[in-house]
Amino acid sequence: MKDQPQVLPVEGSVIEGPGRYRRRLTALSRQALLAAVLPIVTAVTALLVWELLVRQSGIAHSILPPPSAIFDKLAGFLGLLLKHAVPTTYETLVAFAISIPLGIVLAAIMIYSPPINRALYANLVFFQLIPKIALAPMFIVWLGIGAESRVAFSIFICFFPILISTVTGLQAVDRDMLRLCKAVGASDLQVLIHVRFPYSFPYIFAGMKVAVTLAIIGVVVGEFIASTEGLGYLILFASSRQQTDLGLAAITVLCVVGLMFYALVVLSEMVIEKFYGSH
Amino acid sequence: MTETTSGPGSDRDADIVCRQVRKVYNANGRLLEAVRNADFTVADGEFVALLGPSGCGKSTLLMMIGGIESITSGEIYAGGEPVTGPRREFGIMLQDPTLLPWKSAMDNVMFPIDMMRLSRRQYMDRALELLHTIGLAGFERSKPRELSGGMRQRVAICRALISDPRVLLMDEPFSALDAMTRDEMNILMLDLWETYRKTAIFVTHSIREAVLLSDRVLVMRDRPSTIISDTSIPFPRPRSIGLGETPEFNELCAMLRDLIEVARSDGAAQGGAAS
Repeated sequence: MKDQPQVLPVEGSVIEGPGRYRRRLTALSRQALLAAVLPIVTAVTALLVWELLVRQSGIAHSILPPPSAIFDKLAGFLGLLLKHAVPTTYETLVAFAISIPLGIVLAAIMIYSPPINRALYANLVFFQLIPKIALAPMFIVWLGIGAESRVAFSIFICFFPILISTVTGLQAVDRDMLRLCKAVGASDLQVLIHVRFPYSFPYIFAGMKVAVTLAIIGVVVGEFIASTEGLGYLILFASSRQQTDLGLAAITVLCVVGLMFYALVVLSEMVIEKFYGSH
Repeated sequence: MTETTSGPGSDRDADIVCRQVRKVYNANGRLLEAVRNADFTVADGEFVALLGPSGCGKSTLLMMIGGIESITSGEIYAGGEPVTGPRREFGIMLQDPTLLPWKSAMDNVMFPIDMMRLSRRQYMDRALELLHTIGLAGFERSKPRELSGGMRQRVAICRALISDPRVLLMDEPFSALDAMTRDEMNILMLDLWETYRKTAIFVTHSIREAVLLSDRVLVMRDRPSTIISDTSIPFPRPRSIGLGETPEFNELCAMLRDLIEVARSDGAAQGGAAS
């Protein structure tokens, strides 16, 4: 064998190197392999079964195209798909970027003002319970068919989880810590910035993980209702013309966009965790 | 039993004065008396232990002296001035080290300085000196997760001392530690006492700890939550942990234990009659 294997070894194979390192690596890799490979194997199997079933049953591609047809469309219309991905991504990013400070600042105000807290909290919980998607057409009425209405609607549905989880996080600081802050004469603002806020990072990120998917949903729903561009528009356009393969290709791109946003949140959490984590 | 005021430490050289201090909580419509008529003084530079069973209100009393909890009635003075809120001349230690997990030992020690907006540069050397004195040299940059329970509480001691407070208030600071670490911390406390002599109130439910560390032991009882005795601890300083082996020490401990025991059975009888 000319070149040494660079990737993690398959079960039973051995990497050349110091024994201790090798043993640790093989023990680690077996777990890593199982964790990484099993889901991939499952997904690939599902796609293969899908491909085979569609081909064998002769079902119309306009009803259910095989994965290969979707990939063809993905490759063939990549330019068009990316063109429509841009406004969707951009609007999601704007909505998400506004929701984070909005949710956090409102949460901080609620924590420090009991009257505002009392006035708002019950209403916020009520808002959480109503099916907010139903209000999407109203946003078009209020703000028109431009990007503003979609961004506003997206903020409307995605900032609640950030707000609620931040409120929970800011309140999660233990009583002794707050006593200590009081004893050393820390002001409310100091406690917020130096203690409550860093303690609530895990809560804020949990809220952001929920919010980021909702932000995309908000934009796409807006595009469904009234738009001339964006992946939501393309999905609607394709399905109205029975171009199911193109629609599913657009959905695939949408999934990638969603994954990117989610990865961004997870990545920032890892960075913050490095500095502020307790473990 | 309010006659206990006339014990050691008269008002003249008193640093901390508590006059008929009372605390009543409103717990869901039921009034709970956490402290009844606490009446005592602590002389300047005196180490006083507040000894009593769990939940007897001794921590509440300490928090009132620290200006962290409000007083229902009565008066508390520190250095001749009424206590109305937290004071910079107080250093505080709680049962948990309550360190910020993302800050290094050094930065945790500096936390009060940062919060008081004092010059960091001015207190940096003191922080280093404290950490060295207390046996944490080389751990300045360590995060709390990298330190043992005893080491974390040592950081908390440094934090309490960093602003050079005149008074130290300690709320069962070693009760969450294992027995061996606790002995170690008691020795450390005795040593520190020789170096940085301060007025101190030390809340504990360990009789031996109270006798070993303090100049006076105030015993607090439960139901009603009040101070029932004031005992001088005559052992000369500097003291060592070996003091705990002497018959005099154990006699004192036994006497205090009896006091607590009598109060408890008395309280149980009263509690039974009341409810």
